[in-house]
Amino acid sequence: MSAKYTRNFCIIAHVDHGKTTLSDRLLEHTNTVEQRVMTDQHLDAMDLEKERGITIKSHPVTMSYRAKDGHVYKLNLMDTPGHVDFSYEVSRSLAACEGAVLLIDAAQGVEAQTVANAHLAFGQKLKVIPVINKIDLPSANLELCMRQLEDILTIPAEEAILASGKSGIGIIDILEAVVSRVPSPRWTEYPQTRILVFDSLYDSYRGCIAYVRVFSGAIKARDMMLLMSNGEKSEVKEVGIFMPKMVKTDILRAGDVGYIVSTIKNTADVKTGDTITIANKPATEMLPGYKEVRPLVFCGLYPLESDDYEKLKAALGRLRLNDAAFVYSSESSLALGFGFRCGFLGLLHMEIIQERIRREHDVEIISTYPSVIYHMVRHGGELLEIDNPVNMPDPGELIEIREPTIRASIITPNDSMGDILALIMEKRGVCEHTDTLDMNRVMLRAVLPLNEILVDFNDRLKSVTHGYGSMDYELGDYQTSDLVKMDILINGDPVDAFSSIVHRDKAEGKGRQLCEKLAEIIPPQMFKVAIQAAIGGKVIARDNVREMRKDVTAKCYGGDISRKRKLLDKQKEGKKKMKLIGKVSIPPDAFIKVLQNN
Amino acid sequence: MSGAIPEQAKAEASSPLGLYVHVPFCASTCDFCAFYQKEPTADDVARFLRGIADEAALVAWPRPVTTVFWGGGTPGLLAPRHLAELAALVRAHCGGAPEEWTVELAPGSVTRERLAVLREAGVTRVSLGVQSFQPALLDALGRQHTREQVFAAHALVRAAGFPSVNLDLMFALPGQTAGEWASDVREAVALAPDHLSTYCLTFEEDTKLWLKLSQGRVKLDVEREAELYEATWAQLAAAGYAQYEVSNFARPGHACRHNLNTWRMHEWIGLGPSAASQHAGWRGGNVADLDKWIAGLARGERLTEDRVRLTPALLAEDALIFGLRMNAGVDLAPWRARTPEVPWPMVEDAIATLAAGGLLGREGDTVRLTDRGRIVADSVATELMAAFEPILETT
Ligand SMILES: Nc1nc2c(ncn2[C@@H]2O[C@H](COP(=O)(O)OP(=O)(O)O)[C@@H](O)[C@H]2O)c(=O)[nH]1
Ligand SMILES: C[S@@+](CC[C@H](N)C(=O)[O-])C[C@H]1O[C@@H](n2cnc3c(N)ncnc32)[C@H](O)[C@@H]1O
Ligand code: SF4
Repeated sequence: MSAKYTRNFCIIAHVDHGKTTLSDRLLEHTNTVEQRVMTDQHLDAMDLEKERGITIKSHPVTMSYRAKDGHVYKLNLMDTPGHVDFSYEVSRSLAACEGAVLLIDAAQGVEAQTVANAHLAFGQKLKVIPVINKIDLPSANLELCMRQLEDILTIPAEEAILASGKSGIGIIDILEAVVSRVPSPRWTEYPQTRILVFDSLYDSYRGCIAYVRVFSGAIKARDMMLLMSNGEKSEVKEVGIFMPKMVKTDILRAGDVGYIVSTIKNTADVKTGDTITIANKPATEMLPGYKEVRPLVFCGLYPLESDDYEKLKAALGRLRLNDAAFVYSSESSLALGFGFRCGFLGLLHMEIIQERIRREHDVEIISTYPSVIYHMVRHGGELLEIDNPVNMPDPGELIEIREPTIRASIITPNDSMGDILALIMEKRGVCEHTDTLDMNRVMLRAVLPLNEILVDFNDRLKSVTHGYGSMDYELGDYQTSDLVKMDILINGDPVDAFSSIVHRDKAEGKGRQLCEKLAEIIPPQMFKVAIQAAIGGKVIARDNVREMRKDVTAKCYGGDISRKRKLLDKQKEGKKKMKLIGKVSIPPDAFIKVLQNN
Repeated sequence: MSGAIPEQAKAEASSPLGLYVHVPFCASTCDFCAFYQKEPTADDVARFLRGIADEAALVAWPRPVTTVFWGGGTPGLLAPRHLAELAALVRAHCGGAPEEWTVELAPGSVTRERLAVLREAGVTRVSLGVQSFQPALLDALGRQHTREQVFAAHALVRAAGFPSVNLDLMFALPGQTAGEWASDVREAVALAPDHLSTYCLTFEEDTKLWLKLSQGRVKLDVEREAELYEATWAQLAAAGYAQYEVSNFARPGHACRHNLNTWRMHEWIGLGPSAASQHAGWRGGNVADLDKWIAGLARGERLTEDRVRLTPALLAEDALIFGLRMNAGVDLAPWRARTPEVPWPMVEDAIATLAAGGLLGREGDTVRLTDRGRIVADSVATELMAAFEPILETT
């Protein structure tokens, strides 16, 4: 089969618009084996993926389809991650395609993710095939969907295919459109072999498995391959395709999607977006679009029990094997002991990693406040990148602090507009543009500081819009801001784990909130314990931990002494499990509570 | 060991020795009570008395007993002749008469005959389990006596001429108001007892009240307990009763010496099922079951539970944490001399921190709880215990 009969495409959609259902239908129709046959490693990740309704790892599949023109086509369907945290990964998956099926739920219409994904697809110059899905629903509003296609996405309405994954309507139309509208593989004429890595997976027996799209040339077992980003060479052990199980083949040729097993063990060495070429006849230019992924969000992760340090270290190591975007290095905290500074693509990524540490690696952890990377400029012009408030230099040494921003697309019902605008204001954002989507909804484009949306923005958005609002974002520029480091002091001692970098105008409110919360969570203490929030030594908010009111055994005679001792011993053991800060014993879950819901 | 032995031996020879006898019988079980007791069957009393004799014979009595305490259960449930029999057994180990001899009596069991036997035998102190003067509360606790019986019993006890009389009261009872408690204290004071014990209700496992608590039918209210503690202390001080321990108050010279000796970590021998002992280098409790206790004795064995070996360091720690419950506090000097292995600098550190926090006071080598410290005495104890930790982990 030549590349002429190959089509590489993906399905992009807002969560729940029916991507999974439709993919299964396409597989069924092309007699490709049932998709949900996965390796154990996939299954682990699957639980979380299902719970969150997102795809974290790619699940590509090669289908064979005899089109109405009589030819048999090789259709490679790429499954793309569906969350903004993974937008770079999405862009690489899209780069491996020439076309995209854009699903719109007929009852919901265009949503924030639909818009964001469509723009990504246009950016990759993909042929977009609009599909209005779930037309079997009584609440389907085709007219509205068509209008939104034209107005918001500038896609001619007549291109839309009406479908229902559930009822099997429009499946053939979609397959035919893929064949006829999506161009055959591009850049096949390039003189050397160029292969795009769009994902990778760690396998304990085979090491790193690279998920690839061959653009030109070919690759087979025993070739010496070269990773163009770092010049690393290794021998190819095996190549194959996804059926969707990995099936070994002799060779991968231009236009193919498949996998490569080589002598490389570590997934971190095979970076998403990198170009593989053949070592003895290497390409000179990489495929476009490669970026070093840089984590955006950082936090400290500490074992709840200091004995679990090694266990946590091993867990992070294993997670890193399969997730090159996750980085960590050791750090220590006065309050929490020895742990790790961890970097993530975004909040969801952070949550997923933390959850996997708890679930799959069975280590209880405490995390510190998440932070973004601030750019701080010293007198003399030296630029510092600070991802941990503890490392922030004395403000006197700085001439400027800059923070990262995002460009958000927010879709909201009309009647929540006011609340959303207030929320954006509260989060120090600026609304730059509004578009009417339909009679009921508006799309806002806003620029917001990344650190303001780190914790509860999405929850707040959902709550003010009664669940109807949605948001997507891309990274924006750095902007100068009046930021300060806020410390939390317990009985006068700063607790490093609670330090944060905040905007000066919001420091007092945040400080008060944090003090109140701590005062509420820390169990009553024998002594008076003051909790203060301070900026550069100046206290801006304070509260007191409740004083223990009564803790005394009424009756303590001869017969009670042994019993009583046991009780006290237990109390004492309990105390040992706490973190002692400024002579105050703080139960570890207090850290979690404070750090989680603020 | 060093040359300190003779002196220590001398000190022990002259130090007090207590005798506790547990009489494990009650007519019924009160809703709050977790002490080991049962309704006696026909021959239980005889078996019990024989057991006490057997157990006493197994004990290596180191020196004459100085204080005696009969508790329970309800020693007052025994018939006068059985009381006499038990008294004779006890006297055999006292080298004459003990300095202090307490018997706990439930008001319902007080009779002129019983009191006469006890007085005759040399009992010096009677402790009446009043608990409350409120008929409704007495009823709610499952007590077997009425308010009137309390007055009658008290009158009989006074008439019998015991040198010291104590009344036990309980507070923070479900449904009890602050006013009701103040009135209970007032009524108790009106009877002019020599001694008063006021116990904050403790929800003990395996009691009816515990069950109610776990079912949410009654609630624990720490704030209210604290308020009642403070109110009690003030009210009794005003009435001329000096507090000498968390729950105990007395007129001058009437503090219970047996209990003081216990808190000072002196030795005592316990006889009867569930009775605790602390002597001959160990601490532990007899098995809390009449039949098992008797069966053990039949094999020439005192079946004990939770036995620990007593080291000087453990005794020093316990003397501090239990001793602090006494208003007089603890004199550290003798303990420091006896236990060089204890990390005293760490203990001193902990004491200094607690003192700085207003929980402890210190005069020379004597440390005492402040009022604020007393109401959180258990937390103070755990702080101090942490300072002893290094040594206890190695012993
Ligand atoms: N009525 C109807 N429901 C559908 C259709 N396709 C998917 N669904 C339902 O929509 C929900 C989301 O579908 P899924 O395929 O998991 O969406 P994904 O999140 O985009 O992968 C599920 O409850 C499906 O049963 C359709 O064509 N018609
Ligand atoms: C060993 S009891 C027995 C006294 C005697 N059987 C009587 O009931 O009169 C001694 C005292 O401990 C107190 N007491 C017993 N259980 C208690 C509890 N759960 N909480 C507080 N005090 C308690 C009562 O005041 C009781 O009078
Ligand atoms: S309180 Fe006294 S009478 Fe009531 S059960 Fe306990 S020991 Fe027996």
